[in-house]
Amino acid sequence: MIEMLSYDFMQRAFLAGILIATLASISGTFIVLKRYSMMSETLAHSALVGVAVGLVAGFNPLWMAVSVAILSSWTIEYLRSSFSLYSDAILAILLSGSLAVAIIIVSLGGAFNNSLFSYLFGSILSVSSEDIVTIMIFGTISLLLLLAFSKELYFIAYDEEVAKTSGVKVKFLNYLLVTVVAIIIALSIRVVGSLLIGALMVIPTVAALQYKVGFFKTGLISLVIALFSVVAGMTVSFYFSLPSGATIVLCVIFIFVISLVVNKK
Amino acid sequence: MPIFDVKNLNFAPSSQKILTNISLEIFNGEYIAIIGPNGGGKTTLIRMLLGLETPTNGEIKIYGKKLKDFKEWRKIGYVPQRASLVDENFPATVQDIVNMGRVSKRSIFSRASREDKIEVEDAMIKMDVLNLKDQMIGTLSGGQRQRVMIARALASKPEILILDEPNTGVDMVSQKRFYALLSKLNKEENITILFITHDVGVIVDDIGRVFTINQRATICNNPKEVLGCGDMTALYGTQAHLLHNHKHEH
Repeated sequence: MIEMLSYDFMQRAFLAGILIATLASISGTFIVLKRYSMMSETLAHSALVGVAVGLVAGFNPLWMAVSVAILSSWTIEYLRSSFSLYSDAILAILLSGSLAVAIIIVSLGGAFNNSLFSYLFGSILSVSSEDIVTIMIFGTISLLLLLAFSKELYFIAYDEEVAKTSGVKVKFLNYLLVTVVAIIIALSIRVVGSLLIGALMVIPTVAALQYKVGFFKTGLISLVIALFSVVAGMTVSFYFSLPSGATIVLCVIFIFVISLVVNKK
Repeated sequence: MPIFDVKNLNFAPSSQKILTNISLEIFNGEYIAIIGPNGGGKTTLIRMLLGLETPTNGEIKIYGKKLKDFKEWRKIGYVPQRASLVDENFPATVQDIVNMGRVSKRSIFSRASREDKIEVEDAMIKMDVLNLKDQMIGTLSGGQRQRVMIARALASKPEILILDEPNTGVDMVSQKRFYALLSKLNKEENITILFITHDVGVIVDDIGRVFTINQRATICNNPKEVLGCGDMTALYGTQAHLLHNHKHEH
């Protein structure tokens, strides 16, 4: 472990991983409770459109990913609240649509190269100091917003209509939640990849739900599972030369299976 | 000033008439039952009173203010239909649920104040669920969940409690206990009660007025009169009989 941490790139990788695990698991708790699990996948694919535009047009892919993910999250929330469409159907349409747009952009621009590949599967070991600063700044803002409105978001997840009739600003907070989730996802895809961020956002909470404890403890267990999976996954990937993002996801799935078996009725 | 003042309310989405020309007033301290056949518009009326549905035309005022200008939602406690049929996997203890009743009173980042804790505990005591406060909501019986949902509504210290078929999924013993609690809240706490029910015969001695809703509203100030079989037959469109809960003096 000490040998592994003697490398600068591993120190940065661990720091980035811990930050992303914290952000993903806390925001994931709210989206899972709102039955929005597929949103993480959809926004990750939308962010990929931003990356593709950035790579082809020569803009910063990260900021393009953030912009497109936010626009996509607002579109989802608008369609959900304004039309009688099933939420999961909206997410499925946007997911496949985003992927199609991303593929067309990169094929037209001839930019399907290693850069895009790293956003698909993540490249935690090539995280730069600038990446960490960006994640820390925007991650802190996102986290503070989630914590500030956690009791309202929890109420909305439990019963949106009752929350509304209790004076909670449901519409504003729903948009706030999807915006924060979009930012976290866009920040994360550089590290764990657009194909894998959904797992880090959803599986720790689903595993924590198996313990059947209250909201605060569920969030705490989800955070511990996400942090443990990232640390264990990166350690295993370092010593066995495995892709880090995929190894992290397998670790979190392993913990989910254990949680399922341990808590079987 | 009435709590609710409804004038000429119509609801006809896609030209399908659900409610026609509804006018009614609800005053402080009243105990009102809404009855009517399924699909008659009872739930729609309640949802419009709460701003969850927009009327086609007509006017609703709450405490003298138009619905869009009304901000003091803490004065209204709402328990929706099938509230006791909760998602058993939702991570919430009884206390987590009742705490939700205080959310709109707290500022961002704030922890529960001493007043919040007192009101939450008081609501749990009133609904006799304090001993269940650390239990997961999904492990409770239908009757227990129903009382938790009302405790959540009471935690905000409402002046009116609106309940939409609160007895769905609740056994008969719990229903009787529930009606006794409602009556107590109305008489001792002066909380206005408005609720949709199919069991009006059971509580005919307690309620003050009955609104019968079947697209149109009929307001009856003497519940025992409207509950004659003739009226019930006209309302439900079939032979209906009142099951009255006789009180025996010993």
